[in-house]
Amino acid sequence: MSYLSISHVTKQFGNTVVVDDFNLEIEKGEFVSFLGPSGCGKTTTLRMVAGFEIPTSGKILLDGADITDKAPNQRNVGMIFQSYALFPNMTVAQNIAFGLSVRKESREMITQRVDEMINLINLEKHATKYPYQLSGGQQQRVSLARALAIHPQVLLLDEPLSALDAKIRVSLRAEIRAIQKKLGITAIFVTHDQEEALSISDRIVVMNVGVMEQVGTPFEVYNFPTTVFSANFVGSLNNASAEVVNPASGFISIDGVQFESAVDLTQRKSGDKVRVAIRPERLSFASEQKKANVVDATIENITFLGSVVRIRVKIGGTKFNMDTFNNPFLDLPKIGAVEQITCSREAVLVLDE
Amino acid sequence: MMPSPVSTAVAVKPSATRKRLGSWLIFSAVSLYFLIPLGATFYWSLRGQKDVLGFEAYRKLFADTNFLPAFSESIVNAVATIFISLLIVVPTAYWVTLRLPKLRPVVEFITLLPFVIPGIVLVFGIIRLYSRPPLLLTATYDSSRILLICVYVALSFPYMFRSVDNGLRAIDVRTLTEAAQSLGANWTTILFKVIFPNLRVALLSGALLTFAIVIGELTIALYMAQHTLGPYMANLTRSKVYEPSAMAIVAFAITWAAMGIIDFVGRGSSKHLQMADTE
Repeated sequence: MSYLSISHVTKQFGNTVVVDDFNLEIEKGEFVSFLGPSGCGKTTTLRMVAGFEIPTSGKILLDGADITDKAPNQRNVGMIFQSYALFPNMTVAQNIAFGLSVRKESREMITQRVDEMINLINLEKHATKYPYQLSGGQQQRVSLARALAIHPQVLLLDEPLSALDAKIRVSLRAEIRAIQKKLGITAIFVTHDQEEALSISDRIVVMNVGVMEQVGTPFEVYNFPTTVFSANFVGSLNNASAEVVNPASGFISIDGVQFESAVDLTQRKSGDKVRVAIRPERLSFASEQKKANVVDATIENITFLGSVVRIRVKIGGTKFNMDTFNNPFLDLPKIGAVEQITCSREAVLVLDE
Repeated sequence: MMPSPVSTAVAVKPSATRKRLGSWLIFSAVSLYFLIPLGATFYWSLRGQKDVLGFEAYRKLFADTNFLPAFSESIVNAVATIFISLLIVVPTAYWVTLRLPKLRPVVEFITLLPFVIPGIVLVFGIIRLYSRPPLLLTATYDSSRILLICVYVALSFPYMFRSVDNGLRAIDVRTLTEAAQSLGANWTTILFKVIFPNLRVALLSGALLTFAIVIGELTIALYMAQHTLGPYMANLTRSKVYEPSAMAIVAFAITWAAMGIIDFVGRGSSKHLQMADTE
């Protein structure tokens, strides 16, 4: 049995179903991210694990114990908030000690644990400072130390990096992941930032309108999306309506242009409407990499994005983006020119329409 | 024709000066409006002895055997009012902010009622309601005093609720509560270790406003035959010449001292609520 089990959990506010039949098994020490747009139910699910919301139906088991209806202060779950939620009237050390003093731990134990946590987040010089004297990144590290000080069974992180600037976000997420691995703590991380989820997680749960769209490793979710939403939400994507031409050989047609896919289409029939998804970086000029799926494309636009050059092409009647790495000797085509474009069979994903 | 840059600058300058002059005139007029009566009262209070300016009126005031009992009774009433009002208002405002935000307009309306009902109407209503069984509370001086404190508690609601509500809005009550809960704290710990300390300024300003109201309240105390500072001042005005002015200056001093305390504590504490995000 898994360490944290969220089983058939549904949450309704009035007539609105915010989370619908959510099922997830999380192993001890695993780092799982809930990824989705605003209003997809990811935070509500997290809050149900924390005990701030009670599920309308379903069960939540933590290490075999049913915590579905337990009060938040009875769960031994650490929580980190987007707004840091440090107590403004307490110093860094007092904030970290709060959970331990509530548990009536001995003074020696509290002092030792606070020192340990302050060392862990490298804020030794700031122990006597108040939250207003710290930067956003430092405050969030204190918040992490405070949550970890009580030895929680699960660490819940509710968009903890959203209020920080880009550089701090990247360094802090690496720090969070390193600490989580070092302590071997089970963690659930809520984010709407796909890059964050891809870089930090063991597994990602992609959510949309209260429903789990896909669960998988970052590699699986990015490379093999199972739904149109998942494909569109994680990474940039070309997608177009298509028709199955030959299920046995994997041929499909986009606007009359034929593509070959490695996806097993034998469950489908000729003429079935499907949606085809191709990542922009999987398309390339045929002269560079001559394989299957060589098609004519008209160059419509070229955008320089630094390390990447995005080329807008028209294949048949459908527009696609193609990304190619920038280099100073890149021989870019002229706008309006017709070039041969290609992609591998594996790059052509076929999803339900 | 386009005006030259120089002529534009010259044209703008008098207008800015005029504006600044206008602001100073308004400020001076308003200051004089407040300061002249205060200065005149102070001057009058210093004339307690014939042909000599001094503090004779103040000496007589503090020597009056009725002054200190009235003053101390008002202080006790004010402290009791503040204590009861805090006990009612803080948990109510906290719960409304946390769990029942839709009820805020209703609670706000209820707390504003003392502004809508004139004191004289209120006191006759209270006397009528509580002067006969089963709610006979005006029979003795002490029971009337309890009743008076209860009325003051109601009168303090607009000030107390508004102060506490503003304080609660300044902190992220919900997240702080949830953070404390996730760390294992129960409601009592959350209220006394997290919420109250972060509402220090709000509680203090509500308490001092209540203090100022109770200290100077006349109508209700007079009709309920209470020997508090309000009726004492009214009586003093009728029977003495210079002491009422001295009394007014003492009352002003107490109020200003109260405001000074709010300002002093507020400066220290507002820093704690500031969340630096300057990385």
